[in-house]
Amino acid sequence: MSDHTLPHHHVNSGHEPFDSKAIDASVRLPVIILFGNAIHWLLIGSLLSLIVSVKLIAPGFLGGVSFMTYGRLAPMARDLMLYGWASQAALGAGIWLMARLCGRPLGGEYSGGFGGSLLRTLIISATVLWNLAVLLGTLAILAGYSSGVEWLEYPNWASAMLLLSFLLIGIWAVLLFDRRSTGRAEVAQWYLVAAFCWFPWVYGTANLLLVWKPIQASAQGPIQSWYCGSLLALWLLPVALAGAYALLPRLLGSHLNRRHLATLGFWMLLFLGGWNGMDRLIGGPVPAWMTSAGVVAGVLFLIPIFMVSMNLFGMSRNKTVVEASYPIRFLLMGLYALVIVGVIGALASLPDVSGAVRFTAFTEAKTQLWILGAISLPLFAVLYESLPQLLGRDCWSPVLTGRHYTLTLVGIAMLVTLMLLGGLFTGIALADPTVSFLNITSYSYPFHLMECVAQLLLLIAVLTLGANITRALAGDYLLNKHNGK
Amino acid sequence: MHRLPTLLSGIFLVFLTSWLGLVAYPSLHLGRLTPVPDPDNGGSFPPTYGGQAIAGQRVYATEGCISCHSQQIRQLSITTSDVDRGWGVRPSVARDYLRDSTAFLGSRRLGQDLSNVGVRRPDAKWHLIHLYHPAAVCEGSVMPCFSHLFLTRKIQGQRADDALNLTGDDAPKEGYEVVPTAEAKNLVAYLLALRHDYPLPEAPVKKNGAAK
Amino acid sequence: MNQDHHHLQQEQGSEDTNRPLSPWLVGMFMFALCWGAFYLAFNSGGFSQDVYESNAVNWAGGGTQAAAPVDPKVVGKRLYTQNCVVCHQANGMGVAGQFPPLAGSEWVLTEGNHAENHLVMLVLNGLQGPFVVKGQTYNNAMVPWKQLSDEQIADILTYIRSDWGNNAPAISPEFVTQIRKAEAAQSDSWTQEQLLAVPPVKPNVTSGATPASK
Repeated sequence: MSDHTLPHHHVNSGHEPFDSKAIDASVRLPVIILFGNAIHWLLIGSLLSLIVSVKLIAPGFLGGVSFMTYGRLAPMARDLMLYGWASQAALGAGIWLMARLCGRPLGGEYSGGFGGSLLRTLIISATVLWNLAVLLGTLAILAGYSSGVEWLEYPNWASAMLLLSFLLIGIWAVLLFDRRSTGRAEVAQWYLVAAFCWFPWVYGTANLLLVWKPIQASAQGPIQSWYCGSLLALWLLPVALAGAYALLPRLLGSHLNRRHLATLGFWMLLFLGGWNGMDRLIGGPVPAWMTSAGVVAGVLFLIPIFMVSMNLFGMSRNKTVVEASYPIRFLLMGLYALVIVGVIGALASLPDVSGAVRFTAFTEAKTQLWILGAISLPLFAVLYESLPQLLGRDCWSPVLTGRHYTLTLVGIAMLVTLMLLGGLFTGIALADPTVSFLNITSYSYPFHLMECVAQLLLLIAVLTLGANITRALAGDYLLNKHNGK
Repeated sequence: MHRLPTLLSGIFLVFLTSWLGLVAYPSLHLGRLTPVPDPDNGGSFPPTYGGQAIAGQRVYATEGCISCHSQQIRQLSITTSDVDRGWGVRPSVARDYLRDSTAFLGSRRLGQDLSNVGVRRPDAKWHLIHLYHPAAVCEGSVMPCFSHLFLTRKIQGQRADDALNLTGDDAPKEGYEVVPTAEAKNLVAYLLALRHDYPLPEAPVKKNGAAK
Repeated sequence: MNQDHHHLQQEQGSEDTNRPLSPWLVGMFMFALCWGAFYLAFNSGGFSQDVYESNAVNWAGGGTQAAAPVDPKVVGKRLYTQNCVVCHQANGMGVAGQFPPLAGSEWVLTEGNHAENHLVMLVLNGLQGPFVVKGQTYNNAMVPWKQLSDEQIADILTYIRSDWGNNAPAISPEFVTQIRKAEAAQSDSWTQEQLLAVPPVKPNVTSGATPASK
């Protein structure tokens, strides 16, 4: 594959840019392993999410195994989606994007030789450690060793393993940036550096103060809320946005037309991301200024989202190009999801609305749209874009990709809409003190029932993706076998 | 923005704001709150937990009760419905969670708020039956049965004191009894100790507060 | 998905432009920031660690933490729904032949020789034996409710005396306390004769249902 050079393109002086093939070769195995494992956990997480929604309409489901209660399965499902799928896919996407954007293979000059192999082995070992932590942590929750802190249920040793393996993988991405061969840093690279720096700090702080050596419980509420906001808005979302900023202009053959907004949006997102988590605690046992900070952050969070959207939606789009490319479509849908998340978040942060809908499915809908829409869809896009380049051939089945795309969108739309409506309904009923709680439980039954259907659609979508990637990778294996490798 | 040190400094400084506000401030201020002496007797507010209740917190954590239940009465400027509903006589404040090892604030109410359940349902036997089979005492409840916290065993001589009084379909077969394990008893002790109804300087309670 | 389509390692961004934003957008952005600043300034209780209610609710000023008093009828209705509805039904009509109605009941409205203390007593200790309500005789047992607090019983009675066409004054928690103490010796459920044998006691005229003490 030859390098196309555009007339006005100029490379950082001094040396030839590395061949993209060499870069891909240097990250191929780690990235494929990361993505593959991530999809595996996505599958199990989706299955658990389905089981958990069925338990809401049929509490006796799987009741024969009495310790498989909602209280154990729901955290397992959530943590699998967060750490097994999203974080791992973000690691894979982040490494590939950073390497290609920096124009430098993993290991630099040594990537082809022993040093490169050593580095790749290190990263793969760290990946194994990560997956072991997720597996054992999940099983520990099932066995009754959950820490009891939301989103941080893994026992101490599992979260420590997770943090360690992240450090072993993430450091290289940051180093790639430092040693990059391109001159000007682009927006996607800022997001990646920020994301890889933040996760250890956020995850380490939260675990230290809430799980490993818990501080006095009167202080734990804000820290836990800060963690939830930071995990989504400062680690996962930046990687998704990096994918969007890196791929959309190139795939559309266009460019950003409001670059200053991109800069401003980046800093505002960083600033508001942690505060945004406080919308989980509006009206909670925290001083009034924290509640107000949560309200303001929730509403103002629309601003960076708006800035990102103006840039990325503002690029000229050729309809036929868009329709032919699933990565583009996934990216655009992910951005739409982000905008909707911003709107829901702004609404749900208003004091009166929060008073009605907090603790209902309404706020849960926002979290689901965050994870399944704003973060997962762009990560799927990076997956679909990167694998053919990593494998050096067209590997995706158009039919399976199309099915995955449609089912995922329908599933997300259905799930989120039902949860928003059901949550609103429940919230209004809860606000009337004369309506008994058990009545409210029975009113939400039809919503929960349809949510099960939506979860089933999402599970089928993931199964389709699993089949697609298996076919893609198995094809590679068979091809190698055929070529006598 | 184009060199790593500049970018990193910027990221660090911006990130510091939320860290200072939501991690450092709570740790230094809310994390250093102390109990308030109770003028009527020698105790303090919040009242200390007994040993069983402390052990019960662990059970609450591992059973994942936080997935469905919250433990906070919201401030009245946001909504009065928590107090109106009888879930508490006053909003919860940070000091209420002093004696907990983990603040089980919760983010979902698939079940009732539990911050004052010790006042609302002071009957241990009710709690045990409710844990064993929630729908037996709360028709239409979607709470799962926590039968793994109980032992069904043959009656040895006399029925045990703490055996559950189960009727109908829930009753064990002839000659058997259902007894709570230590975990169940600890959990119930913890639930009975949950109350935020005492006055605090930052959260006074009106003499004839809302019904319990 | 054609790998020749683009090259990630090329510099991207050299073509980026900086189209100016429309003044409307800049205006909205500034407005949002100002709103945020003002909201934070006025709703943060002075950024004090001890103020949990945002100032927005305290129009009366003074006493930043006063809990708004709850209407006893609202509380009473909820308690009625939880405890009494099974027998006396949500419409207060009871079940013919089994459970007496409360709507229009002389016992609830405390008419004739039925006084407020009788009403409180029968709730505290329950009833047994034949019992006449609105000309009909009922021969069912009513369970005692002495485990409810004085406030709770007062709220329930205040509610049932104000719904379904009933219109009688509220009952105060202090009155319930007084009657509970006066009849503490009674352990069994009342029969109708025993109940009416107790001389009628009406509550002292109060200024309404608002609690006297704070």
